[in-house]
Amino acid sequence: MSQNKYLKKELPASLNRIGWMLLIIGAALGLLGFYVDHSRAVFSYLVAYMFLVSLGVGSVFLLALEYVAGADWSVPFRRIIEFTGFITPFLLILAIPLLFNLEELFQWAQPQIVAKDEILTGKSPYLNTEFFIIRVIVFILIWSAFYFLMSRNSLKQDLNGDQKLTRINIKLSAIFIPLFALTISFTSFDWMMSLEPHWFSTIFGVYFFSGTVIAALAGATIFAIPLKEKGYLHSDLNNEHLFSFGALLFAFVNFWAYIAFSQYLLIWYADLPEETTWFLTRWQGSWAYFSILLIVIHFLVPYIILLSQPAKMNPKRLKFSAVWLLFAHLFDLFWLIMPSVQSMEHGYIFSWIDLVFPIAAVGIVIILFTLKAKNNNLIPVGDPKLQKGLNFHL
Amino acid sequence: MNNKKLFAVSALFDDPNKIIEAASKISESGYTKYDVNTPYPIHGMDKAMKLKPSNLGFVTLFFGLSGTAIALLFMYWTMSVDYPMVIGGKPFFALPAFIPVTFELTVLLATLSTVIGMLAFFFKLPANSHPLHDTDYMQNVSKDKYGIFVESADPLFDENKLRNLFKDLGAIKTEDIFIPEKEIFPVFQPKFLILLFITALVVSGGTYFTLNKLMYTLPFNWMMDQGKLNPQKGSVLFADGFGMRKPVEGTVARGFIPYPYKGELNPSQTLSNPLLPTKAVLELGKKKFLTFCSPCHGNFADGDSRLHGQFPNPPTLHSERARNFSDGMIFHIITNGQNVMPSYASQVTSEERWAIINYVRVLQRSKNASDSDLLLSKEESSKNVAK
Amino acid sequence: MNVDYSRELPTIEGRLSLAEIERLVATPLESKPDKKFYIALSITGTFLLIGAICLAISFYYGTGMWGNNQPVGWAFPIVNFVFWVGIGHAGTLISAILFLLRQKWRTGIARFAEAMTIFAVMCAGIFPIIHTGRPWLAGYLTPYPNQHSLWVNFTSPLVWDVFAVSTYFTVSLVFWYVGLIPDFATMRDRTVSKLRKTIYSIFSLGWRHSNRHWQHYEKAYMLLAGFATPLVLSVHTIVSFDFAVSIMPGWHTTIFPPYFVAGAIFSGFAMVVTVLIFVRKIFDLQHIITINHLEKMNKVIIATSMMVGYAYAMEFFIAWYSGVPAEQFVFINRAFGPYAWAYWIMVSCNVIFPQFFWFRKIRRSVPIMLVIVILVNVGMWFERFVITVTSLSRDFLPSSWAYYKPTMYDAGILLGSFGLFFTLVILFTKALPVVSISEIKAVADGAQPVHHGGSHE
Repeated sequence: MSQNKYLKKELPASLNRIGWMLLIIGAALGLLGFYVDHSRAVFSYLVAYMFLVSLGVGSVFLLALEYVAGADWSVPFRRIIEFTGFITPFLLILAIPLLFNLEELFQWAQPQIVAKDEILTGKSPYLNTEFFIIRVIVFILIWSAFYFLMSRNSLKQDLNGDQKLTRINIKLSAIFIPLFALTISFTSFDWMMSLEPHWFSTIFGVYFFSGTVIAALAGATIFAIPLKEKGYLHSDLNNEHLFSFGALLFAFVNFWAYIAFSQYLLIWYADLPEETTWFLTRWQGSWAYFSILLIVIHFLVPYIILLSQPAKMNPKRLKFSAVWLLFAHLFDLFWLIMPSVQSMEHGYIFSWIDLVFPIAAVGIVIILFTLKAKNNNLIPVGDPKLQKGLNFHL
Repeated sequence: MNNKKLFAVSALFDDPNKIIEAASKISESGYTKYDVNTPYPIHGMDKAMKLKPSNLGFVTLFFGLSGTAIALLFMYWTMSVDYPMVIGGKPFFALPAFIPVTFELTVLLATLSTVIGMLAFFFKLPANSHPLHDTDYMQNVSKDKYGIFVESADPLFDENKLRNLFKDLGAIKTEDIFIPEKEIFPVFQPKFLILLFITALVVSGGTYFTLNKLMYTLPFNWMMDQGKLNPQKGSVLFADGFGMRKPVEGTVARGFIPYPYKGELNPSQTLSNPLLPTKAVLELGKKKFLTFCSPCHGNFADGDSRLHGQFPNPPTLHSERARNFSDGMIFHIITNGQNVMPSYASQVTSEERWAIINYVRVLQRSKNASDSDLLLSKEESSKNVAK
Repeated sequence: MNVDYSRELPTIEGRLSLAEIERLVATPLESKPDKKFYIALSITGTFLLIGAICLAISFYYGTGMWGNNQPVGWAFPIVNFVFWVGIGHAGTLISAILFLLRQKWRTGIARFAEAMTIFAVMCAGIFPIIHTGRPWLAGYLTPYPNQHSLWVNFTSPLVWDVFAVSTYFTVSLVFWYVGLIPDFATMRDRTVSKLRKTIYSIFSLGWRHSNRHWQHYEKAYMLLAGFATPLVLSVHTIVSFDFAVSIMPGWHTTIFPPYFVAGAIFSGFAMVVTVLIFVRKIFDLQHIITINHLEKMNKVIIATSMMVGYAYAMEFFIAWYSGVPAEQFVFINRAFGPYAWAYWIMVSCNVIFPQFFWFRKIRRSVPIMLVIVILVNVGMWFERFVITVTSLSRDFLPSSWAYYKPTMYDAGILLGSFGLFFTLVILFTKALPVVSISEIKAVADGAQPVHHGGSHE
């Protein structure tokens, strides 16, 4: 069996330490931020929170996608995706500071504004704090339930190699994906689209989905490649196994650009005042530079870097692209959320608080990854498709 | 058959592993003019033959980018320079709206260039007279065998050495490939020339017939006969058959206010000159007078135009009667005409008529000036001389 | 039936040899057509003839023969156009996208699917041309040099359509032809008839199966697949822009592009399954086009069905959420207005019936899947009908509302397009190999060497 080419090694303790350091620094500065500028800190926290939603829930989606599509190449890397997905249940705790600050974030949560606004009153059966909180909790519970079931089956399979567990996971994945589609869409409506409660766009859920998949793929890549290079995975793995990471990242960068362009073109073309306000806000003052930078960072640069076939397999390029794209996704979320801060209607005003929460978020990702990696195999040794995955070649 | 020149020695294998081995061996041995033929691409063959990676991607990139440039430049020129129009309130260079066409043209040029470049330039196809065609070897590699051949032009070529090598590698069959006899270039054969001629005749005749005759069978009139009314054309919609119609009764041209007084009625009491005799008015009046009135009444209204002597004579406007006319009476005469004089209402607007009247008054005064007028003009002229 | 996940499923069943595969695929081309062929051709030919007659009458008397009128000025022609373009997309997806995703199971069906794409786009292209009323003047629509500086409106989605559909047709045709070159060579080396040999020689361009050529060929194939993928997404996106750039409620909604693309794949796969069910039976290709292939396609069908259902849900929710009365009315009108019958056919055929494909037994049952996929095509035609006609028949001004009824000429032309499509498919089966011979040989058992270093590109 190929298992003897996999040696379970402990991840270096320094990694965990770095994670905790980032979290503590980030959290401390974050708390300070809450005292210094409460409103700004809440919005910045939201950006980091949505980033973790993308990474965590996106990983669960990738897990389900692998099972449903019957992919072979990804099997050796699946455990890594399971570890990044571990963020998902913790979202419940991470959402708490936001749930206590809904009035700060959302106009529709302020009764005096809703009372004077006919449109918001019309939306109040959906946009009200009680239903909102229920939705947030229920969605996280659904995601976490599927995550636990699937990851538990995968870990159990390490011990007994039972093919029935794969069958069950495939069924769970098939049920999860449509649920995911709906819940991730409503999550994006709830946390981000309703920041401008008069605005609406049917493609918004798909837009957030495209960014989510990129973030999850990039997250998996950024862990997978160093681990493979340092021998934590399997010695049969070579650069060809990495090809699909590059190809999928490239494909979804294109997909993101396609969705973003569709949304922009249609609203620009029809020029309806109720729709254009959202983009006009993102063209005020310095926000215009952010908008243009978004296209460059999130599309042009990764496109050129990952265009050629060899580039998609090159570990250095992939590592760079993964980090770049994680930053790009953060930038995207920033661009989606921050223009709604009232003080920044006419342009971006820099604040150190914006830098703080992403640091803490990265720390959380590392901590949770190392926690899971402590007691579990870094490759799914019991998976019946493991050998096919290791044999994969272009 | 025996005088044919040897092109290559070939070998057939029936196992993909064996052909890989054979290819590696041949390429390692230093042969350069050789090739492998398989019914489908074999994995690992490129490496075994030590082939350099294909450059086709650069063709694609170049032409794809040129497609982008062509699209953007063309749209820029037509929509922003040649005939800019405001469409939907968007700027002349509406970049978001130009993206779809740009994308399509990029893809079109990239793909077409890749395929045409590959077939025509990389492969130099079509090439139906290669020595390998119509051989047993070709038939086999088209179906289910794997073949390799080394050309006699290769510097290391040695017939027997190669045949032994192939046998050692496990070939199921070796075959000599010959260069086919050179045919008389088919162009010069009479049958072909006649065929060419007939084809040319048919194609040109057919083209002429299609473009000039067939495509003009009704209802294909190519907008030559459009269902619109051209000047002088008749029309079935009207009882009199005329396409061109007079304006409806009571139509008034712009600038021409309907004149309510017809016939000999003397409306001088109600008409009065709205124009003051300013310099501009007088110049207008002079210009119009010289154009319309002077041919009959003379340049200075003396009745001494070249019509002088005709019966009835165009009268002088300096007569007592004329001088005693009110402005309104002169207006009435110009508008309605009098005796032989036709109506000038269609040639001078009302404003111009009043200007003419002011000018006529000037002329009349100049021929019947009073003493005080003379004194005034003497003073004026002495002032000018003194300076 | 339990699957063993550790084993690679054979792409071709029955352990066929390369020569047997070739014989199976080439036989229809080398044998004379039988009675069943002529019967099938006469049926489709009749449909085609009906369509041609309706078209001729429409040309002679003008488009007043159709039901198009105010307010529904865009009716059957656009619905049929979008329908056929959508069906074409499955072919490119199977050919190009599944190739990029390295799904070996596409091999047996790619050639057929690509042919269907080309025929579907040909059927689609008829409609924009005829609906102008004087199609023989269509040449004036191109940007020809002229003294009036008259240019096409490059900001109009109708012009984008021209570029998109013609690029799509060209690229699909080129992609299909490139795939056919090795097969023409195989046919050339197989045939004994001199005339056929000449024809195949011309079309094969003298292909010699040389590996030096295969190297570039594979690269070109991959490049073409890489371009065809965004192309196919862009084509139906641009078609969706025809509607979405307007301000009509029910049309102007940002989700249209991915929604239309998902719908196109959905209807296209349904048509591919429909045709393949018959083709594999008639031409004895059950070992090459297996139940596993059909099952995989049915999985794609249910996935895209749910994407379409997702789009319906999003449109519905956001229409309510937006608070725009015209938008909210559209969706109530669709479900309960005068075209409710069309709406419920659409929802049941697109969202409800495909749910049966959750069950493995049904995915693998040919008779049931045939019924479901035909219903899917019906449902997708009705989706385009519902989108177009409900929004136009009842838009902003109630005094302009009217009920649209198609005429028999509309229906005749639609029937004719089906006739054209199936006639071309039937002729194709006798003229060209319906399976890519070289590709399918490449994935047969034992076709590839065991220890290979892999060709790193």
